[in-house]
Amino acid sequence: MLLRTCAYLWLAAVGLSVEPAAGDVLLRVTPGPLPTAKAIGVSDIVMRWPVPETAELTKLRVLGFRLFLEAGSSDLAAAAGAAERAEAAGVIIDSKGSDSAANGELLRSSKVAHPKLVFRFLIPGGKQPQMKGRLVVEREGILQVSSPSSQPWLDTNLALAKLAETFHPDAMPVLYDFQWDLSDSLHKQLGPSVDEYALAIAEADAIRADAVLDFPEPLQKALAADQSDAWALWDQVKRYIAFSPRVPSEEIQSIANMGVVTSDEQANYEAANLLARHNLAFENIRPQDLTAQRLNAWNAVVVFCSLRSADIDLLNDFVKRGAIVVLVNQRGEYPWHVNAPIRHDSHSATFNVGSGQVVELGEPVTDPEQFARDLRRLIGPERSAVGLWNSPTTLVTAYRQGPGDETVLNVINYADVPENVQVQIRGRFTSIQLESPEEGCCRALQAVSRGSFTEFTIPRLVIAARVRLKVADNRGANP
Amino acid sequence: MRWSRFLLAALLSPLFLLPVSQVSSQSKPFVHKKRYAMGTVFEIVAYNDSVARASSAIDRALDEVVRLDKVMSNFMPESDLSSMNREAHFHVVRIPPDLYKVIETSLGYSRFSDGAFDVSVGPLVDLWKAALAGGAPPTAAELARARTCVGYEKIVLMAPDQIEFRSDCMRLDLGSIGKGYAVDRAMETLISNGIEQAYINAGGSTIYGMSAPPDHDGWLVHLRDPSNRLDPQVNLKSNSVSTSEQTAASLLEGDAPGHIVEPASGRPLHTEYAVSVTARSATASDALSTTLLLLGPVKGVALVARLKDVSAIWISADGRKTIAGSETAIFVIPDSGSPATAATVKSTGRRRENKQ
Repeated sequence: MLLRTCAYLWLAAVGLSVEPAAGDVLLRVTPGPLPTAKAIGVSDIVMRWPVPETAELTKLRVLGFRLFLEAGSSDLAAAAGAAERAEAAGVIIDSKGSDSAANGELLRSSKVAHPKLVFRFLIPGGKQPQMKGRLVVEREGILQVSSPSSQPWLDTNLALAKLAETFHPDAMPVLYDFQWDLSDSLHKQLGPSVDEYALAIAEADAIRADAVLDFPEPLQKALAADQSDAWALWDQVKRYIAFSPRVPSEEIQSIANMGVVTSDEQANYEAANLLARHNLAFENIRPQDLTAQRLNAWNAVVVFCSLRSADIDLLNDFVKRGAIVVLVNQRGEYPWHVNAPIRHDSHSATFNVGSGQVVELGEPVTDPEQFARDLRRLIGPERSAVGLWNSPTTLVTAYRQGPGDETVLNVINYADVPENVQVQIRGRFTSIQLESPEEGCCRALQAVSRGSFTEFTIPRLVIAARVRLKVADNRGANP
Repeated sequence: MRWSRFLLAALLSPLFLLPVSQVSSQSKPFVHKKRYAMGTVFEIVAYNDSVARASSAIDRALDEVVRLDKVMSNFMPESDLSSMNREAHFHVVRIPPDLYKVIETSLGYSRFSDGAFDVSVGPLVDLWKAALAGGAPPTAAELARARTCVGYEKIVLMAPDQIEFRSDCMRLDLGSIGKGYAVDRAMETLISNGIEQAYINAGGSTIYGMSAPPDHDGWLVHLRDPSNRLDPQVNLKSNSVSTSEQTAASLLEGDAPGHIVEPASGRPLHTEYAVSVTARSATASDALSTTLLLLGPVKGVALVARLKDVSAIWISADGRKTIAGSETAIFVIPDSGSPATAATVKSTGRRRENKQ
């Protein structure tokens, strides 16, 4: 009885809103014993269809969980029926292989048929966030590619989330999952480490998306059996779960100084991934959504697809005002061709237009890493809404949120080594407060104003930190 | 690691273990760990019947790399190298044994290569960095001034632990040898902790293979191939390979000057080659890869001929190759004209980058 009461109190505490909030973590569990939701610190759990009998599912509610059944579109009707009978929270649709239009229709029809259930799409293509080297373990041997020294490669879901926001508007907030990389013997014995859980949770929060994390069965059983060692691990993970503020997605506005125009979610994924990895603050946009109003928010645009002549005229005006436009493999006649290019080689041609510049890259992006570096150099720190330096293992995301238009930076360190992260953000701020899972809230940071930018250092970033900046002149980080 | 691998020994309790079938998919367990150090990712794989022993040995080896980073870093103002660079101008200073040893070894390569390898080239590199970032190239006067700061002959070592610069603006940069030295020290740490089969990778530029993985005759390494036609490979077995290449040209802004500067001319190196070098130690392969890139295949072949247990392969952007050394058969090119294996390129998920 006491357990049940506690569980209901926990449900009330976490707030049982029907629509999930961005930055949430869902645990994919296996049928079997579980501790209470309060003890784990996570209220949303996922079970893959088919699931055991309904009576087993209803027990989960008593433990304080909101249950989602996960099924492919072919099993959707059966899963939704079972979810309704078990009074589950909803159904997660594994949308692999379906197009967004079909998914949208499936979502609408499912909601009509089962109005009490929440239906969400699982965006395919997620990967475990991690810093990677160049080692590849393949089946029986180990492959290695030698090269001049490389900066760390970051596997991140930031680009995935940004593209999904654009191409799956029915599926907001974005929900993704990934497989834990358990390739070596240590991982196979122990499962993911605290660091790995923490990074995955912190990244979901930073990219304002929801992540489904596989909850390894041995850990689940060990926690249910109240093994102290397992709880020692999970108690550390819970700090990161608690750190996520779970802000409703409609209250968040991404800060970006660059638009990326693309009509194909897959074709330009790697380029978008590298832009994200190099901390270029960008938003994806489909060509049909390009407007003068959207352009006003940016000072640079990269175009990966063909545009209508009216859109070209918009871009021409945009560049005249001092912006930069990069056209990737879009040969044609353009208004700026009335002038000779200021630079022309086998790869690209550059035109001055008004106080801005157009670069036409005459081929597809074959080296996304180099493209992202070139683009960052071309745009320069003076045009960037937010930037980091001397932090090659760190990503930053910037949002404006809440009624006071507070600017929030989420900073994630993918390395195992704490770093001092130097930040530059456009705007002047009267208050800069740092919070982190390790040190809690809040610590005032000293800042320096340089022109229209504010600079400060985040000391010893371990995995995650959030910086809240209050705006002095109400211009914030607009480019 | 920030936490001690979440109580490794304690968590090996029966209930917490994953099914044995997952563990025994390979006959001998191995552990793979990585850590950010020296501006890149150091990765170590070690095979051992005891996962706990392998894990602990790797942690100690990576700790050693991090310690050496604090000795040799150019980016940390508090590093021993930074202190020396501030204080050793016409002034004798005491330096730690590791730093002394790396500089002493560097001077040996400088003399051996007639100055092609020179750890004092930093002021010239700095001068070209602005141009590499899109700025104007340095003026002749700026270059002339920077060249007065360069020259390995101006470095005076006094055994066992003292150094003096005979220049008021000299600054050493160990980027072309430091990672190799760290790999060698990490390998020694693994050996002293009971590991016999392992390899260490310093960001892709220097790799050491200790012995060979189980059921294999070596550690397979695919080498950098600017032509993407040859897929050159090497099987490491108690030796090391290092690779050097000049910065690639910018796609959007035309040619960039590149980060490797010739000490003799004071200007960025223009070369179409990437070079990979094998040697018995990672220190040697690291230092020689930069040297042989600067020398090019014509002069480089002659230099390699004077060295024991060293082999090198130069590959140009159009697929020409030159192989030299005492063990030229160490390099394997499967089928001339075949592209790099798709699995390798895809699974690493990146393209070329440049030695920092």
